[in-house]
Amino acid sequence: MASTYADVSQDEKARLFRQVTQDARFDTYLYGCYECGICVAACPSARFYDFSPRKIAQALAREDVELVYEQMNDDVWNCSQCFSCLRCPRGNNPGGLITIMREVAVNNGLRTTKEALAGYTRIIYKIMTTGTQVSPDMLQEDAFPDWGPQVKEVADHLAVWRRALPPETMHTTALSWQVEERTMRELYAIWKWTGTLDMIAQLDEGLHDIMEEVMDDALEDSGIDAAGPL
Amino acid sequence: MSAAERVLVVGGGPGGLEAARGAADLGAEVLLVEAKAELGGTPWEAYATLTPHLKPTRELMAEVVGQVASHPRVDVRTDTRVVASEGEAGHFQVTLEQGGARTVESVGAVIVATGFQHFDPGRETQMYGYYEYDDVITLVDAERMMQQGKLVRPSTGAPPKSVAFIQCVGSRDRRIGNQYCSKVCCGIASKQSIEVKHLVPDAKVFIFYIDMRMYGFWEDQLYWKAQEEHKVNYIRGIVTEVIKKGDQLLIKGEDTTMGRPVEVLMDLVILSVGMEPSAGTLEMGRIFQIPREPHGFLATVGEPLDTVSTPVAGVFVAGAAAGPKDLEDTVSMGGAAAMRAVSFLRRKASQSA
Repeated sequence: MASTYADVSQDEKARLFRQVTQDARFDTYLYGCYECGICVAACPSARFYDFSPRKIAQALAREDVELVYEQMNDDVWNCSQCFSCLRCPRGNNPGGLITIMREVAVNNGLRTTKEALAGYTRIIYKIMTTGTQVSPDMLQEDAFPDWGPQVKEVADHLAVWRRALPPETMHTTALSWQVEERTMRELYAIWKWTGTLDMIAQLDEGLHDIMEEVMDDALEDSGIDAAGPL
Repeated sequence: MSAAERVLVVGGGPGGLEAARGAADLGAEVLLVEAKAELGGTPWEAYATLTPHLKPTRELMAEVVGQVASHPRVDVRTDTRVVASEGEAGHFQVTLEQGGARTVESVGAVIVATGFQHFDPGRETQMYGYYEYDDVITLVDAERMMQQGKLVRPSTGAPPKSVAFIQCVGSRDRRIGNQYCSKVCCGIASKQSIEVKHLVPDAKVFIFYIDMRMYGFWEDQLYWKAQEEHKVNYIRGIVTEVIKKGDQLLIKGEDTTMGRPVEVLMDLVILSVGMEPSAGTLEMGRIFQIPREPHGFLATVGEPLDTVSTPVAGVFVAGAAAGPKDLEDTVSMGGAAAMRAVSFLRRKASQSA
């Protein structure tokens, strides 16, 4: 079969395949596959996309380096990571295999991964700098035309609407809720020390650099070593 | 000797051995007739290890073979054939032939345990080039190599780097004329796949199947074990043909669950041949006038609750003479046949007293 990614060398595909199968979680995520399809039957994404968690498990079990590479570029982004596929009678975890494949794709900055995640850089920025995924002020009339005309009314008087919410921590407009400074510093330290921040260095260098600066400044101000405890 | 408490057991394999030991332990006199020189039957002769525990056959069977051979109430006749029978239940006059000499023996009941023979891949058509290519072998050929502690390509004598098992050869095939499943080949192929990996750890092993039929404990003892611990690749799809390519074999099939054709080169192809009634089984059917059931094996009456009574009074069957059986079925039938044969004779004796 002709490869969809003929420009990528066999060695490179094999290297990424090994990164997936040598992951510490791999052996407990894929025992053996009956090819029964129960994971596909349980999968919400499979109802809407040409996507099959069974084929993910099978391609890995068959050691099909070519197909796994294709899936790592394409199929894995159709998974909603809901883990309905844990229904597997053999105890396999196709969603977990996809988690590993996504991590390998992100860590290696695959072009298709950059494309797939391009629309999410704003959300990544929001989460990593504020600790919350979206903020009320993202709710603008032109951004959500399908939400109806009341979006404009809400957006125009956002601060008032927010103050109407009972929890005081939600009287915010640039954040979903008030995140304490100490919590933010701890999150920065975790993302720095565990390498989570570095995961996106391959993906969006500019975004990475901005966030690293934000984090380093905050950590320096609070006297935490940005290089980690070791 | 009076026929009243004498049972003829035909066949010295696992079923016949258990039947002979059982009937003798119940107090009957047993005449055990075996056509070959040794007791033990097909497993003893052809199988290196037994399914599902992969233990050496002769080690496992030595106890029953020894007990039957030395039992005071079992008269073992090896190299002997049953060639004729007259009379009826309680009074069979059976003619035996050994080295050209014939004798007539009186027995009250008969247990036929003459077993099966492996399907011959050249019987109808030349399936998969078994008689054409050295490196296409059967499960039995593989066992014979494993008896010598090795698995090699017959063409070169070197260990294979890739091995494919093809399931259902001679079974579940209307064109071949065998519509039944042979029951044990999925288990034996899985057992052998593990043994291949023990002998040649670097070999890639594939099993091409229609369904994997691994009932009961074989599921995790063999199937899961082969797939999970030994990374044997199970591919649902039956190979259509094997073609010689260079010094390897190109096998062509469909990977049905992936929805794509498979064409891969193999060093060794092992055909999972099924069961057919042995020549001895067909001969005993003729001599004792036991009807054959629709698949060609000896008929039983009273299935599923009576597995051993044939339509002929006083004649019982144990093991694969009655259809594809695993060892557990065979030995259980041997015990049941012994019990029924002895109780049949005692009931008859008490009625005529």
